[in-house]
Amino acid sequence: MRRDYVKQDVGNNEAALTVRLASMNTSTPNPDAEDSGVSDEALLTAVGNCQNVDAFNQLFKRFAKKIFALGMKITRNEQLANDLIQESMLNVWQKAPLYDLDKGSAKGWIFTLSRNRCFDMLRKQKRQPNCISADDIWPLESIAEPTMVHEDIGGQQVELSLIEGYFDQLSDPQRAVIEQIYIKDRTHEEAAAHLQIPLGTLKSRLRLGVTKLRNLIGVNE
Amino acid sequence: MNTEVKLHPSTELLNQFVQGELGTGKSVVVSAHMELCESCSAKAKELQAFAVSSWVDLGSALQSDQSSEADHSNMASGIAKSPQIKSEQVEALVEVDIGIPNHSIKLPKVLAKAASQGLKWKKVAGGISEANLFLDNETLCEFIYMAPGCKIPVHTHQGSESTLVLDGSFEDELGEYKASDFIIRDAQHNHQPRSEEGCLCFAVLDSPLRFTEGFAKLMNPVNRYKFKKATSRVA
Repeated sequence: MRRDYVKQDVGNNEAALTVRLASMNTSTPNPDAEDSGVSDEALLTAVGNCQNVDAFNQLFKRFAKKIFALGMKITRNEQLANDLIQESMLNVWQKAPLYDLDKGSAKGWIFTLSRNRCFDMLRKQKRQPNCISADDIWPLESIAEPTMVHEDIGGQQVELSLIEGYFDQLSDPQRAVIEQIYIKDRTHEEAAAHLQIPLGTLKSRLRLGVTKLRNLIGVNE
Repeated sequence: MNTEVKLHPSTELLNQFVQGELGTGKSVVVSAHMELCESCSAKAKELQAFAVSSWVDLGSALQSDQSSEADHSNMASGIAKSPQIKSEQVEALVEVDIGIPNHSIKLPKVLAKAASQGLKWKKVAGGISEANLFLDNETLCEFIYMAPGCKIPVHTHQGSESTLVLDGSFEDELGEYKASDFIIRDAQHNHQPRSEEGCLCFAVLDSPLRFTEGFAKLMNPVNRYKFKKATSRVA
């Protein structure tokens, strides 16, 4: 399914985005679905670049229930889970200018913020010392996608005849992405455009595919 | 013979870490190991990706009612009036004096941060020193220094003990451990750690140590008291 990837459009086409968001905010039959055509990444970027309140409202609608569910899962306390929605979405608003696609998907970014805020909330409630916070335990760099243009698959000598076999063991999407980057030598942006997938999806598949290849080749052990 | 010696957190433990389900002490020791271990770090990223995709489905089943939607709408407008953060704030790394003469060790960042609360070393017995860290009320967390040639009396655990080797090495009946190794011992283990060259570790215990042989057993009430004291502190 082709998803409209509006990152480039947001800055130049804010008027169009605003109109779309306005209609979404008034009638939202299914706020969870991205079928309305605007990706989470586009919304988050609009919040970060232009303080777009409609975009923020839409993100809030999409994520409030999920954040509540995460809070319930960790704390089993309805009050805390509700507080978590406020804490997490406040963080999303405050830190949106720091988000970019190198930090991974918007969902991943919001998940990280929510999990971290939940952790800190619980620590505060249990009166644990604040010398350590969630951002120390899960540093932001660790959620970022590693910049991999040509990542070293491993210095080990590998039988060339075996590589093809390993390559075939990847899933179709992962194989397609690795082929673009390592065999066709495309940049991330070119590969994403060629495969008609969002940049975030490309990076995510690349990371998973490379990790799988490394495991198959036996570099990690 | 023996089961394989695991020198890394299990996939299950890494998954609990990624989901935010571990307490502070256990999260810190896993995070510190990941700073030193590329493969666990990569694995955690994959697990996080899976956690995010299943999170997206979570909460879809929940009903929203009119009142919560109104509340959310108000919440959102309130939040949108706050200032945004324009640039990343990077905390300057503080050099932590680990307090062991003739040793300067570079700690994983998360441990350096935790240790910045100040470390008070206490000589325990036979070349072993400990420095307690207050992180949560479920675990006793401490740096342990073993001087060259010393050993810890044979003991077991009611719950589990997670140990990260920071410098030097130690061994027990199941193997040899060096810097960045992550070892879990629990009730099925009865072991005597000893170190030839000396060793600095960080350990997280969720229950008191229980010495199992000889005069050391007289120390068990002290172990229980120590654990109780460490886990009933309040910030």
